[in-house]
Amino acid sequence: MRLLLVEDDPRTADYIVRGLAEAGHVCDLLRDGHDGLFAATRNAYDVIVADRMVPGLDGLSMIKAVRAAGIHTPAIFLTSIGGVDDRVEGLEAGGDDYLVKPFAFSELLARIHALGRRPAAQELKTALRVADLEMDLIQRRVTRQGQLIDLQPREFSLLEVLMRGEGRVITRTMLLERVWDFHFDPKTSVVETHISRLRAKVDRPFDVPLIHTVRNTGYSLHVPA
Amino acid sequence: MSETRPSLLRSTPFRLALTFAFLFLLAFILSGATVYQLMSASLAKQLDQSIKETYSLIASTYAESDEEDLIATVRDHAQFSQDKDQIFSLTDRDGNRLAGDFTASSLPDGFSMFAANLPGVPPDTEYRAYSGIVGGNNLTVAFSLSETEDLETIALMSFGWATLFITGVAVAGGAVLASRVQRRLDGIANTMVDVSHGRLDARIPLIGNGDDIDAVSAQVNAALDRLSALVDGMREVSANIAHDLKTPLNRLQMILESAADKTASGEDVSGELTDARTESQQINSTFDALLRIAQIEAGARKARFVDLDVGPVVETIGEVYADVAEDDGKSLVTEIIPDTKWFIHGDRDLLMQMLANLVENALRHCPPDTAIELSVTREGSHVLIHVRDNGPGIPAEEREKVFRRLYRLDTSRTTPGSGLGLSLVKAVADLHAAAIVLEDRNPGLGVTISFPAIRSPGA
Repeated sequence: MRLLLVEDDPRTADYIVRGLAEAGHVCDLLRDGHDGLFAATRNAYDVIVADRMVPGLDGLSMIKAVRAAGIHTPAIFLTSIGGVDDRVEGLEAGGDDYLVKPFAFSELLARIHALGRRPAAQELKTALRVADLEMDLIQRRVTRQGQLIDLQPREFSLLEVLMRGEGRVITRTMLLERVWDFHFDPKTSVVETHISRLRAKVDRPFDVPLIHTVRNTGYSLHVPA
Repeated sequence: MSETRPSLLRSTPFRLALTFAFLFLLAFILSGATVYQLMSASLAKQLDQSIKETYSLIASTYAESDEEDLIATVRDHAQFSQDKDQIFSLTDRDGNRLAGDFTASSLPDGFSMFAANLPGVPPDTEYRAYSGIVGGNNLTVAFSLSETEDLETIALMSFGWATLFITGVAVAGGAVLASRVQRRLDGIANTMVDVSHGRLDARIPLIGNGDDIDAVSAQVNAALDRLSALVDGMREVSANIAHDLKTPLNRLQMILESAADKTASGEDVSGELTDARTESQQINSTFDALLRIAQIEAGARKARFVDLDVGPVVETIGEVYADVAEDDGKSLVTEIIPDTKWFIHGDRDLLMQMLANLVENALRHCPPDTAIELSVTREGSHVLIHVRDNGPGIPAEEREKVFRRLYRLDTSRTTPGSGLGLSLVKAVADLHAAAIVLEDRNPGLGVTISFPAIRSPGA
């Protein structure tokens, strides 16, 4: 993927650029909001990562201007304000995701992947399938090897998020946001509990496990390599 | 802050007393001057009248008889006035004295004033005179002004004494009153000096008569009470922050030192790195929570409030945590009356976090087999959310303190947690104008948060 990073803190920028390079992505780094806007309108990027507080033009205004120019490249805000309003403000400005500093690189990478590989035009899927696991989104039914699996509504959502991100790492925070609409960090093992219940229903009765734990980061649903 | 003792002259009450004394004196002097003027005018008029009467009496004797009679009458009158406060002059056409005490030669007809030097009276005594022609002779009747002047002097003297007395009373009374008020002001000032020196328990002494100074003092004392409570809270928070952040920081340093040692001897340090990450995450999340609470307390979030039904919010939390509780050996039951809506004005995300914190608090501090209940009820114009458990509860004397930042019961110091969960609950409740009540359920803790209800969405 080709990424645009607008970040003025050299250490953070270096950390991200190095990580992205290791993950096999090309990243243009700019330290100023005006330069970022210029680059975003001239080149085609897969994802824009913008710090909210950069010199020149701040991140929010930059993404607003990018959107005003008719460019719909997915954008992630980085924020160190730790604010309760940042998410809403970011979404209102045309951002697609946000991440509070300090963050683990794996978290950023998971989010970049989630955005970058998102189908450009949100195509409507009626069914998801990973190996022998099938999900009917209309009837809200899940079957594996043809056997019906009885899931609670939240378990269904959890499985749906994992299946839509097949093969990618979905972090704990991403699950909390997408499945439970939790925009805070619970101090108890909410995600672990629900993943373990889901596993008991989706994986345990069958030979091949599909839900995999990615240490210190999150989970990934895929056919084992 | 200035600590110079104000002198009496710089004291406001004394200045006020002086100002009033001055104004009173001014009025007194003005009215006195007017009275004096009127009095002396009236005295002068009376004198003129007496002079004219005496003159007429003497002149009338000439009309009846001859010149000899006139001379005898003048002589009689002159003799009669021993102390020369009435003097007379009768001269013929050529200015020769015919009778009387003196010779009035140059006085015009009618009233006039002159100073005379006569034997037996002080030199230059002022006289008021009336002159006229009687039968070809010049008759002058003059009365000394000394009597009038004496009266005027007495008036002036008594007026002066009165002024002096009033000034004395005003200044002394003002000083006494002022010093009494000043003592109380000093009491306030001294208290404030003590407070500025850090003695936050200093309070202004009250007299108890309920006057305005007492009222102001009571308000200042109340403000000081709040201030010292806040400062105590801050002190405790600082100490707790120091403790709560110092501990993981120390651990982090120890981990890093051990990693450095291991690296030197070529050992694997991946375990240390993982530990270090966990510690720094803990520090970060404590800071995040502090910042978050501060931001919620700042209140900007209120602009995003919407009308929402708290039922689904409570249900979601119940659903999310029921399994977590079960895995933890506890139970969580959500009781919501079906098909009922509980609308309040609020922020869904914050309410979710608030409830999550309350449930997690119960999960964290209660032993296995604890039953936790979540429910929503309505009471009058309030929507009540209840989180109840049958765990160890919170001692009554600790209930106020648990909402303080980083406050933890001694019994829970060893269990994980930032000590910020309930502060956030309080901050969210305050933002929603909701009251929190903690009650003892014997055993267990009941937390009730009562939100002002709204009738229907969009209303």
